[in-house]
Amino acid sequence: MIGYVLRRLAVAVIVVIGIAIFTFLLLHWLQPSPVYAVLGPKAQPAAVAVWNRQHGYDRSELAQMISYLGKLAHLNFGYSYKLDQSVGALFNENAGRSAYLTGAALVLSLIVAMPLGIWQAVKRNSVGDYAATTLNFVLYSMPSFFLGLILIQIFALDLNIFPPTVSDSITTAGQAFTHPLQLTLPILTLAGINIASFSRYMRSSALDNLAQDYIRLARAKGLSERAVLFRHLLRNACLPMITLTGLSIPTLLAGNLLIEVLFNFPGLGLLFYNALGNSDYNILLAYTVLGGVLTVLGNLAADVAVTVADPRVRLA
Amino acid sequence: MTPALQVRDLTTEIELTRSLVHAVGNVDLSIEAGETVGLVGESGSGKSMLALSVLGLLPGGGRIVDGSVCLDGRELVGLSEPEMRKIRGDAVAMIFQDSQSSLNPTKTIGEQVAEPVRLHRGASKATANNRALEVLELVGMPRPKERLDDFPHQLSGGLRQRVMIAIALACEPRVLLADEPTTALDVTIQAQILALLDDLRSRLGMATLLVTHDMGVVAGRTKRINVMYAGRIVETAPTAELFSAMRHPYTQALLGSIPRLDSDRSKALASVPGIPPDLTDPPPGCRFAARCPRATGQCREHEPPLTGDDRGHLFACWHPVDGPITRPPELTVGETITESFLQDTRPSDGDHGAHLLEVTGAVREYPVTAGAILQRRVASVKAVSDISLHLDTGETLGLVGESGCGKTTLGKLIVGIEKPDAGRIALEGREVFKLRGGRLRRARRDLQMMFQDPYASLDPRMRVAAILREPLAIQGIGSRREQEARVVHLLEEVGLPRNALERYPHEFSGGQRQRIGLARTLMLEPRVIVADEPVSALDVSIRSQVLNLMKRLQAEREMASVVISHDLAVVKYLADRIGVMYLGKLVELGSGDDIYLRPTHPYTDALIKTIPLPDPAAERAKTGPGIRGQLPSPVHPPSGCRFRTRCPRARDVCGEQEPPLRTFGPGHLAACHFPLRPAQSAKDARP
Repeated sequence: MIGYVLRRLAVAVIVVIGIAIFTFLLLHWLQPSPVYAVLGPKAQPAAVAVWNRQHGYDRSELAQMISYLGKLAHLNFGYSYKLDQSVGALFNENAGRSAYLTGAALVLSLIVAMPLGIWQAVKRNSVGDYAATTLNFVLYSMPSFFLGLILIQIFALDLNIFPPTVSDSITTAGQAFTHPLQLTLPILTLAGINIASFSRYMRSSALDNLAQDYIRLARAKGLSERAVLFRHLLRNACLPMITLTGLSIPTLLAGNLLIEVLFNFPGLGLLFYNALGNSDYNILLAYTVLGGVLTVLGNLAADVAVTVADPRVRLA
Repeated sequence: MTPALQVRDLTTEIELTRSLVHAVGNVDLSIEAGETVGLVGESGSGKSMLALSVLGLLPGGGRIVDGSVCLDGRELVGLSEPEMRKIRGDAVAMIFQDSQSSLNPTKTIGEQVAEPVRLHRGASKATANNRALEVLELVGMPRPKERLDDFPHQLSGGLRQRVMIAIALACEPRVLLADEPTTALDVTIQAQILALLDDLRSRLGMATLLVTHDMGVVAGRTKRINVMYAGRIVETAPTAELFSAMRHPYTQALLGSIPRLDSDRSKALASVPGIPPDLTDPPPGCRFAARCPRATGQCREHEPPLTGDDRGHLFACWHPVDGPITRPPELTVGETITESFLQDTRPSDGDHGAHLLEVTGAVREYPVTAGAILQRRVASVKAVSDISLHLDTGETLGLVGESGCGKTTLGKLIVGIEKPDAGRIALEGREVFKLRGGRLRRARRDLQMMFQDPYASLDPRMRVAAILREPLAIQGIGSRREQEARVVHLLEEVGLPRNALERYPHEFSGGQRQRIGLARTLMLEPRVIVADEPVSALDVSIRSQVLNLMKRLQAEREMASVVISHDLAVVKYLADRIGVMYLGKLVELGSGDDIYLRPTHPYTDALIKTIPLPDPAAERAKTGPGIRGQLPSPVHPPSGCRFRTRCPRARDVCGEQEPPLRTFGPGHLAACHFPLRPAQSAKDARP
């Protein structure tokens, strides 16, 4: 088990280095230096040359890349010339808030989607199942910002229950936690989209398991339907959700982007969005690498969790 | 005395979205305490639905429409769900067919066996665990204490089936419903499980209903047998009488269609034409009328009642037969086909003096890897170890053995799907794996395989015409028009109507699909075909249709075939010579009579003795438990003779020296230090 995790981590490091190289080259190809973003588009060629020399952008691309990877190895993500702060400090400040948003949405999605999926499977082809399926499809096909706009219209503007945007006074994850109303709409929006896809997976997984003979044997033992569901079906039906959850962590982070912009919530997504507009190079690079790291770690965590939950799966 | 279980006039229906399945109709059945009653029928005959009706566990849309089910005189039909739950798993328990899917994969064996005890006896966790241990011991689980914390996937199929029986017995039921309890198991393990069930029944005094499609399974273990067809019981009689003096034509045909070890190979098997009726729209008269050679207008209009001359033997037929078929039908073989469709493309090197197919020292091993960073090859599964044999034109070689003995791998090596790790496989003197490009492709034309599962081996998105034409198209043989003509011709040969061409595989029954598979195999006029379990997925009455067809087509063509099966009777019927495999080794090779009448290797002998025979007298005469224990791991096969761990004759030398194949008669070879009969000469021989 430990050997397996170490091997996977070793592979993960290689994958992350690959992602970093690829993203670095892509950005360089689009824009060899952030100089115009800093000095303005009409900067004098002499000033540009000086700036590039000062900041090392006159070196060969290979040299720049190696130095970037070297810094990355020391968790130095470079410097945001636009915001005049190190990227590391910016991420440090914003990551907690984004993680709170993502985590809360993920937990809420699972809490709703798992029982919903099982309920739909048990009541398959009933009016309730069809209604839930329809709602799921509507949510699934909806862009997240659109769902966000609808929720803002209903709950903030019409009913006036929640604020339409997150207040500027929320600066730490702790504060987000103590002011639940502020973050309700962004979390609901993110969760809404997720519930739609999660509950579909849950429904089909539960249906697969309900058709298995061990469910029939459980009934033949004389267990009540409730006991059959809770003692036998639940754990087996939830197994695929572990992998799905692991895979959805980076997706949720990307989903944050639109939601954070929409609700003006200061997180990594909003940081990235602003960086896009400003060609804030090192932030774009760091955010993409972070996405890669989360994808790899999410996968690994899911694989390890599955071995704990499913005795049939052995790591090798 | 009140029977433990009495079913009267039971009718069960299953409502589907657009139709109503009349699954069980007017069934009467009774079992006394301490008695085993057999319920025999093909798939879809309603036998499982009958068992599930007793438990009140019908699938969605199913309900008991009429009739009564009494447990020790207490009516169960109409009981509320909570009342029924108290009976399930307590007074009435059930064993299902597939132990792989019937046990919860994420719960330990101990939990699963203890669960009904806690539920019905209200026992504490500790008490229930003790009881679980007790029952696991009772069902002969080796080292039960260690097994309590194991998960189902850690056990072999036979041990899992014992766990399932332990679950059923945990609360000492009055009635045990065993639905195909041994169908998924190897013959050697099947014999162990059947003996166990029998022993438990007599010790615990349970009433047991043994539901199966296999006449051999019920022959030795039951007091009386009910034969079910299309939702009706068509005949019920004491076991011996049913086999020797059946009255219903269906029972007669069913027994006549089973290949037996003593069947005359030159005769065709009795077969029932057609397929069972659709139970959503059953025919008005006798349900067997459409397939019955004795049917008259009366049969098609009026359903015969279940009556009989004497009390114990009842049958539902207007024109009953009198006992078993006495004269089996002749095998009708057409003219030998010499004119070949592919004549011009076949390489002609005439007389090469070699055997058609020659396997020399073939070895195939699958790696087992381990290691944290680098995957090292730590061991290997020895699927096929140093096997040599040959095959000549017009000959059929049978391969038998338990699952995991390497017979399928050997089959794949022969047709070139798998490459041997060592040794050579030569077709007409040319080594197949030394050929390249076009020559290899041409050799593949001569080596074709027929697969076991007719559901999985045909592409569901291709029409039959495309499936059959594909081999010709790949090999680029003939124009499109010629290819189509050939497809039509072969379709006729395998007895399918012409309109089958435009249909998809799912529109056919299992037997028809296997005919399509056979036609595809024959499309390229191969020199050698390998048929891997060709009929094991088919029902008994359909099985004989396909077996007769295979035998006829083989006789009409100049080809050799290899038939792989766990069913020794099927192999005996089809094959001229038979090879017995054990754990990757060929332990005995000889003619059908050599193997069945003069078995020389102790494994062959034991294997033959464990086959359940559809003959009550022979079944009851059997003594001894058959082969002990489980198949050892093919990763670490025993040293010396691989069978020694289960062999009653094993001595020290068996673990030290591997026995070579020795000659025991013309073409009869066996590898044993202590054979059951003396070798012909001391000289070692290779086939």
